[in-house]
Amino acid sequence: MILNLPFKPRLPAWIGEVSWRTLAGAAFLGGAVHICVTFAAPLVGAGNAFQQLRATLPLNRMVVLPAPASGKQILPYLPPDMLYAMCRYELTGGPVSVTAAVSGPGWVLSLHTPQGDNFYVLPGQQLRSGEVSFLLVPSGDAAHAQRRASATDTQVASPRPEGLIVVRAPLTGLAWLAETDAVLRRSSCTQVKR
Amino acid sequence: MSLVTNALINLVVFAAVAFGGGLGTAWYMIEAGSRLSTRTFGPWTTWTAAGRPEADPYTRAHTARNGLLPVSSTLELTFRAKADSSGSRLTSTCDYTIVLQDTEPAWWSLAVFDGQGKLVQNGAERHAFNNQTAMREPDGRTAIVVARDARPGNWLPSGRSGRIVLVLTVQDAAFAAAVHDGAQTKSLPEIQRTACR
Repeated sequence: MILNLPFKPRLPAWIGEVSWRTLAGAAFLGGAVHICVTFAAPLVGAGNAFQQLRATLPLNRMVVLPAPASGKQILPYLPPDMLYAMCRYELTGGPVSVTAAVSGPGWVLSLHTPQGDNFYVLPGQQLRSGEVSFLLVPSGDAAHAQRRASATDTQVASPRPEGLIVVRAPLTGLAWLAETDAVLRRSSCTQVKR
Repeated sequence: MSLVTNALINLVVFAAVAFGGGLGTAWYMIEAGSRLSTRTFGPWTTWTAAGRPEADPYTRAHTARNGLLPVSSTLELTFRAKADSSGSRLTSTCDYTIVLQDTEPAWWSLAVFDGQGKLVQNGAERHAFNNQTAMREPDGRTAIVVARDARPGNWLPSGRSGRIVLVLTVQDAAFAAAVHDGAQTKSLPEIQRTACR
């Protein structure tokens, strides 16, 4: 398609002075800057979710957090119609025994690395019984894998020695708040000494 | 043009393209996302690999920089809308209606936040509806009204926060798999602006 413009667009004269080598080099360096910034972005700024929660969550203990309210949010964009129980775990002193009730649609048990990767997730509706328990062990901990308490003792391997356990329960109304809170409080996260 | 001026022009262009372009494109890919890492359905955008250990670097950077803690997108998808279905920016000065069709068996939640991801201050302390708390029409649909002042039915207060963001969370593994694979999936609700003041 040919455009018949009433005027001829004129580029500034200095553009003609820019060498193709300059543009090629700039594009190459721009690509390197793009890659570096993308990989460095998680390391700068206000901090990821784990860093923000580190100060508020005790180690290897499940805490039921207060219902989200304006001005009392623990993380941005976290669904507010939920109650949360969280445990910051560390496996260097031994595996962590986890018990949680995941008792219906919307309930989720999720395990996260400090980088936010959700390496294990268990939705409520897929369970036959409401409660689940397992042993959280470091990835590649073959010695511990051989020391299972029983054949039915489920183990989940954590790719990092520390991380977060989140049990999320949907709020189905004020009338059920106390009941939901009570079920969440049955969740636990305890270190098993080696 | 002198040799010095020529060298200066080339230096300025080099720095502008290399650093401006590199930083700008990285910022755009991390904050807004592209087809490589997000999928868009009308006004709704989701990061398709959010929460997954094998997520791409842009998704990981987006998650970390915004302090998000997403459940794996193999189970649950989080859709964010900053504009209504006509493309206008969502704001607390306007009223919006969102009609969700019968979404069984999925579990969903629709929440309203301000532009920074904080909960909107409102007297009712109501910030979200989910499929267990929202009232349904006889035909199975659920209509949610986002407005500053009280409305009958499922009213989600938008407060006086200025720009608002709607977040739709859908927990449905089959739907999540279809979205990730780029398959044709069920449609997401439109955001209709009904009034502005």
